Amino acid sequence: MASALKKRRVIPAFKQLTQHSWFARGMSRHLSMILLFLLLLGEACVALFVMRDLGRSYANVEKMYNGSVQGLLRIGDMQYDAQETRRSTLYALTTSDGNLQVTYADQSRDADRGVTQGIAQYLAEARTPQEIRAGQQLAKDWSDYLKVRDEVLGLILEGSAKEAVQLDLNSGVSEFERVRHDLNGVKQSYDAQALQQLATVAELSRSSMARLTGALVFGLVLGMTAIWAIQRSRVRSAMQLAKLQMDFVASVSHELRTPLTAIMTAGENIRDGLAFNPDRLFEQGSVITDQAHELMELVDQVLQFSATREAKLAHALRELQVNEVLEDALRSTGGLVEQAGFSVEVRIEPDLPPIIADLSLLSQCLQNLIVNAIKYSSGKHWIGIFARLDAQQNAISISVQDQGIGIDTEELSRIFEPFYRSPQVVAARIHGTGLGLSIAKRTAEVFGGDLTVSTEVGVGSIFTVHLPIGKDVPAEGLGRLGDVRGARV
Amino acid sequence: MGARAWVVNLIMMSVLLAFPRDQRAQGGAPAVQPRANPSQMLAIVVNRSNPIDNLSFTELRKIFLGERNHWPNGHRIAVAMLDYGQPERRIVLRQIYRMDEKGYEDYVLGGMFRGDVFVAPKTLASPKILRKFVFNAPGAIGYLRGSDVDETVKVVRIDGLRPGDKGYRFQIDEPAVSKDSE
Repeated sequence: MASALKKRRVIPAFKQLTQHSWFARGMSRHLSMILLFLLLLGEACVALFVMRDLGRSYANVEKMYNGSVQGLLRIGDMQYDAQETRRSTLYALTTSDGNLQVTYADQSRDADRGVTQGIAQYLAEARTPQEIRAGQQLAKDWSDYLKVRDEVLGLILEGSAKEAVQLDLNSGVSEFERVRHDLNGVKQSYDAQALQQLATVAELSRSSMARLTGALVFGLVLGMTAIWAIQRSRVRSAMQLAKLQMDFVASVSHELRTPLTAIMTAGENIRDGLAFNPDRLFEQGSVITDQAHELMELVDQVLQFSATREAKLAHALRELQVNEVLEDALRSTGGLVEQAGFSVEVRIEPDLPPIIADLSLLSQCLQNLIVNAIKYSSGKHWIGIFARLDAQQNAISISVQDQGIGIDTEELSRIFEPFYRSPQVVAARIHGTGLGLSIAKRTAEVFGGDLTVSTEVGVGSIFTVHLPIGKDVPAEGLGRLGDVRGARV
Repeated sequence: MGARAWVVNLIMMSVLLAFPRDQRAQGGAPAVQPRANPSQMLAIVVNRSNPIDNLSFTELRKIFLGERNHWPNGHRIAVAMLDYGQPERRIVLRQIYRMDEKGYEDYVLGGMFRGDVFVAPKTLASPKILRKFVFNAPGAIGYLRGSDVDETVKVVRIDGLRPGDKGYRFQIDEPAVSKDSE
């Protein structure tokens, strides 16, 4: 059997816990909300970062742009000063008053200093070879013009106005045109630079806005999707719960109806005088008590499930030996096992450490598994019960193995859900409430343990209760047991 | 005049011949001749590009009188005169032109009328303007009080003497006019 189960899948109980239990579903919702919040927080952070980057890049380019504007203003000043240099020189021609001529000469020299300083500043700030070439050309042409200007001024002051005009026409005009041309070139260069920087600013702004919009839209869509998923999950959970409750009601009703019908039939037989002798009367009375006993067990199970759901199970914790628990469980299910004609193979590893649990509850947990093994058998009347030490987990594992119908892979994720009964089982008219496994798993968890399953359809199943050895029982897990005890499957 | 009077006159003439006038002003005692203050001398200035470093007084006079029109480097000579009433102008008129204001005006107007003077001297309002004029005009020549001279103009030696040198001709006795004296 063990080799036959080699390929069986082991479903970790934690996975089932996180995916399919009520608790997990509730947690999933909270987790979704937290994730949604974190997502929005992340989106906000991304948006802040994008906006910060946008601001920085804009400020950076704005600074560059301001540089161009300053450059343009400086070129404008230089153009004005250059014109002033020439204008003052020509004004000196218009008078023969030596004092005025000297004043104009002074003005011309003041203006030419502005241009010379502007050129020096431009050259100091020039970065590209083109700018450096333009600056050097401007400096040379300006120097050439100033030489002519000095000569013209000299001639004017010396009283040689005619020669001054001649010199200015011959050389001054052309030299000054070259300067103007150079200044225009520099200005156009600044213009082009400013336009390029403006285009860069616009492009940066566009791309940043696109990124920002994208991030916001993505966040919005993601957020809406998360909200939709949460709502959908809630609706589905509610619908599943409603369906399970409906199934439960139907199942319990059915389970109640069967013994009640038998009780009613027996009662009618007694009333109608059909139990005319003491033997028949004893027979009908036995039917009534047996069926009433079954009813009691069913009600007990429902109450126990309710208690596990509300964590109110009473407990009498003490150190227990594994064989003690197994003996109790086998004793309680012995009649059923014998009646069903099953053989039980029990193997207990020697020298197992004790566990701390409530005998009645743990026994009930194992009884549920044994009863299930009988209920879902496929003709092979064998049950294996094995107890061993799991050194890795520091726990004791008690497995209940059967050679029954097995569980379909798709069903595995749901078998621990309360009220869940697989369609195949329902179709096979195997009675049950769908609470046994849920109660067993919850009971194992109360003692700090777990319940896992490995199974293969048509081969059988192994349900294993993992219980921490005595000293590892969590104290907080021991106080959750309530008032309901002694339930039977 | 008796013999006694002749003797007294002879002694006095001997004294006058033996001591210069300025020594006589100091009480007649012989002393070391003090070096004159250059700032109170009249400097003859030209443009810094002018290769001339020294002029004889005769050449200087010809230049100011307009009898010489060009420098050796070919630049036309432009004489700069300070405005009326300036002490420096009076020195120049007295020592170079050897004229008074009226004689100077008559000389310039007459010279231009006759064609002897090509360009009349420029009359400038202040030493500062005159200095700038000399600075701007390569062929300019003018005069400034020693204290008004700076590095923008070049001082020309006259007969090999600079302002402040012993025997330099142009000394200003009057203080500068407050109009524009730097």
